[in-house]
Amino acid sequence: MDLGNFISALTPLNIALALFGVVAGTIIGSIPGLTATMAVAVLVPITFSMEPASALILLGAIYTGAIYGGAYAAILLNTPGTPSAIATTFDGYPMAKRGDGDLAVALACFASVFGGLIGALALLFLAPPLSNVALAFGPIEYFWLSIFGLSLIASLSTGNLMKGLVGGAFGMILSTVGVAEISADIRLTFGSQTMIGGFGVVGALIGLYCIPVLIDLVAVPDRHLKVEDDIRSVRIGEAARIAMKAKFNLVRSSIIGTLVGILPGAGGSVAGLVAYSEAKRSAKPGQKFGEGEPDGIMATEAANNATVGGGFVPTLVLGIPGTPPDAVILGALLIQGVRTGPTLFQSGGSIVYTFIYGLIIATLLMLPAGLLIGRYAYKSIVTIPKAVLVPTVGFMTIIGTFAIRNSISDVVIMIVLGVFGWVVGRFGFAASPIVLGLILGPIAEQGFVQSWTIGAATNNLFGMFFGRPISQAIVAFTLLSLFYPAFSAWRQRRARSSMEAKS
Amino acid sequence: MKKAPAIKSEANIGSLVISALFVIAGIVTLYDTTGYSDIDSKVFPRTVAIVLIICATIAFITNFLKPTDTGGFGSGIWWRRITLVVTMLLACFAMPYVGFLPAGAIAFAGGLVAAMHDQWSMKTFLLYGGSGAVVMIAFFALFKYALLVPLP
Amino acid sequence: MLRRTILKLAAAAAVTVTASFATHAEVNGPVNYVIPFGPGGESDISARLQQPFFKDKFGQDLVISYQPGGGGAVGWASLNGLNGDGQTIMGINLPHIIIKPAQKDVGFTTDGINAFYMFHFTPDAIVVNASSPYKTLQDLIDDAKENPGAVTMSGSGKASANHLAQIKFDKMAGVKTTYVPFKGTGAAVTALLGDQVKAEWGYTTVGAKQGDAVRMLAVAMEERHPLFPDVPTFKELGFDMVGGAYRGIALPESASAETKKNWSEMIGEINKDPEFQQKMLDGGFALLDVDADGMSDFMKARVDEYLKDAREAGLIN
Repeated sequence: MDLGNFISALTPLNIALALFGVVAGTIIGSIPGLTATMAVAVLVPITFSMEPASALILLGAIYTGAIYGGAYAAILLNTPGTPSAIATTFDGYPMAKRGDGDLAVALACFASVFGGLIGALALLFLAPPLSNVALAFGPIEYFWLSIFGLSLIASLSTGNLMKGLVGGAFGMILSTVGVAEISADIRLTFGSQTMIGGFGVVGALIGLYCIPVLIDLVAVPDRHLKVEDDIRSVRIGEAARIAMKAKFNLVRSSIIGTLVGILPGAGGSVAGLVAYSEAKRSAKPGQKFGEGEPDGIMATEAANNATVGGGFVPTLVLGIPGTPPDAVILGALLIQGVRTGPTLFQSGGSIVYTFIYGLIIATLLMLPAGLLIGRYAYKSIVTIPKAVLVPTVGFMTIIGTFAIRNSISDVVIMIVLGVFGWVVGRFGFAASPIVLGLILGPIAEQGFVQSWTIGAATNNLFGMFFGRPISQAIVAFTLLSLFYPAFSAWRQRRARSSMEAKS
Repeated sequence: MKKAPAIKSEANIGSLVISALFVIAGIVTLYDTTGYSDIDSKVFPRTVAIVLIICATIAFITNFLKPTDTGGFGSGIWWRRITLVVTMLLACFAMPYVGFLPAGAIAFAGGLVAAMHDQWSMKTFLLYGGSGAVVMIAFFALFKYALLVPLP
Repeated sequence: MLRRTILKLAAAAAVTVTASFATHAEVNGPVNYVIPFGPGGESDISARLQQPFFKDKFGQDLVISYQPGGGGAVGWASLNGLNGDGQTIMGINLPHIIIKPAQKDVGFTTDGINAFYMFHFTPDAIVVNASSPYKTLQDLIDDAKENPGAVTMSGSGKASANHLAQIKFDKMAGVKTTYVPFKGTGAAVTALLGDQVKAEWGYTTVGAKQGDAVRMLAVAMEERHPLFPDVPTFKELGFDMVGGAYRGIALPESASAETKKNWSEMIGEINKDPEFQQKMLDGGFALLDVDADGMSDFMKARVDEYLKDAREAGLIN
């Protein structure tokens, strides 16, 4: 961990790669349908001729930029650019609608940089012990984690608890369509070949979030987002001040993000959701989460960028990718002949440490680059006449959805899902529970079936499901999140009535 | 005496209908599970379908007893909405025959017409159509040549 | 962006000059190499290993894209709808493409897959955590005999190579172990490392990747793997198990015989490269050379073998 590695991370080439990666990643991540995985996968061959550390820095920079870039579409178009930005739509879009879009984008940048740094620092100092945490999570913990995620969805759909649960359950059913991973049965395809692939998360994301927005935009002559007469540039200062005040939120969200990122398969969407829910739970009176509360955006963006650093922990220490982009990067590493494992941090030291320093540099570079790109993105979305914006976004959704699996039927499914999402959304069934159900469904199912198999085999079914300390903690959190809102409302009513009684 | 709230508002009927549809979806899922060969694949869908049916039923009942007035299709202009969606679907079906760019142009044109609330003029026609062409070609090139996606 | 474009142009120019000297200059432009799984698995890694050699020898890019879903079924179902001009190829896996269509209608048939080369296989292996009490295969067998069903073994997927191996071995050794399916080898290995299961049915590649963190009890090969001279084969220990997951490449049905032959030769050439062979061995893979000519005999033998195993295992009727 000596300074020599830091110096080698500072070579002009590496800095240029970091900057290029962050910029390219941000732009790619902001386009719904283009994922970080895709971007990283295409650029891997270029890295063959590079030094391993430089290659890693480029790929890592793209990855972290893409996770940040997802916030643009989330805030300005109510469509997460990547699944990690789902929770950013909760407060991002309301903020944009009331004219605070530029503030939201700036906040997202600050939060992403902060979260990314925490994640990278955790990777730097705590990788080996953190990897043990990753291993301690077995199938049952993943199962309870997904149930926890669903309870969050429910508790976030205030006033519409039942509809939120309905959406979540429906999303989970959608996730079972196609060939079952765990048993090779074909489910819910009704004999159609096109449905064998099931509903991809990214396609469903675009359909359920973006198409309803477009349908609504064409229907009314109003402008898309309120626009101030002068695009103030002082909002960056305002954003910085807000971010400083929200220190605690940022730190807590980044830690949550890092921890969730460590768990292979969990991903940025879960991290954002958990961080958002925690931020909401510790809201000060007067804060209105879900209606454009800055703390909401900061929580999710800090958490999802922290998963970048966190995800590298199992990838580098155990050779098990934390997220799909990690899997691609792992492949690139293997070809370079880099062996992953705890020894990587000792003997292979220089590559890993140079990479981590490079990642930190890239994250820092994301601050000026991100703010700049963010302002430009905001200006263009806000000033482009709606008549051009709508078809452009529509075209983007088509090309983006197609590019996922090179399939036209995916695009058709996306559009149909979009219309469906618009219809049910009009009557109180929001898109987020359905998408989150789609994401969490496979995790819940596999966790359940695997735990059942192991538990039945060892004659320890009850102990398997309820006896392990980590699962018990997660179950406790689940119950807390389900009953806390009702509990605190009850307490408020009691306080109010006792005050009235006194007077 | 206050009149009971009308249960016939559009928002309410819509909610009821959709809740009912979700219940049906749950039943369909349950029916499908009977055709699976492996017991492992049945457990999860069955559980979730039952949860869906229960929650959708509760939502139905709550909505019936306490009708809401929020929601509904709103006051938007229908032909524009339909144009947008139909042209996008048309573009998909046309794609294998005419290729990606022409199909995309169909979708773009549809969206443009649907979203254009102001009066058309020569200037706007050229400007919007032109910028649309630029955008489409740029994205096409990006995806096909930089990202190497095999667009038809 | 500009710098990249210039670099690309320069590279393309240089490569076109050298490519004109190559004898297999039939590939016009970058090739779309579709992997019907997600990134990071064995199919992805072996394809990535081929990438630089292909670029070197034939001057074109192998562009790897992923089409996961249904354990490969989605990709294979779409294969014959793709362009047969030789610019698109797809990875294929045995036993998947044999067993899946036999179980139910998955959108493709084994015979419909136009395979032109099988270039490696990953031999089955039983892997345990380095801290496991099982030091030899016999330890595991004894434990399974004393506690039927209590020995949990993770593996990738159901009705897959791992699953088949578990069923076959259980029969041969006369024991009952419990197979716990996971999504991909990576997840199965995580479960093993986390002590969620007692052992794993994996491949030699797992041993290569995890190094000292795991111990392999036996490998399903004819002779010991050069990377693991201390690990006995199943045959040595008295169990006639040789096999694993085979991987190869296929073209869409509409490809011409000439294209097929051409591709077969190109991949064969990569397989002969000693540097490639070394990289594959270092990764724990075992090499194999079945080209387009020998493909139908090879496939027929495998089909018979796998269907028989699957029938005995009760996976198909």
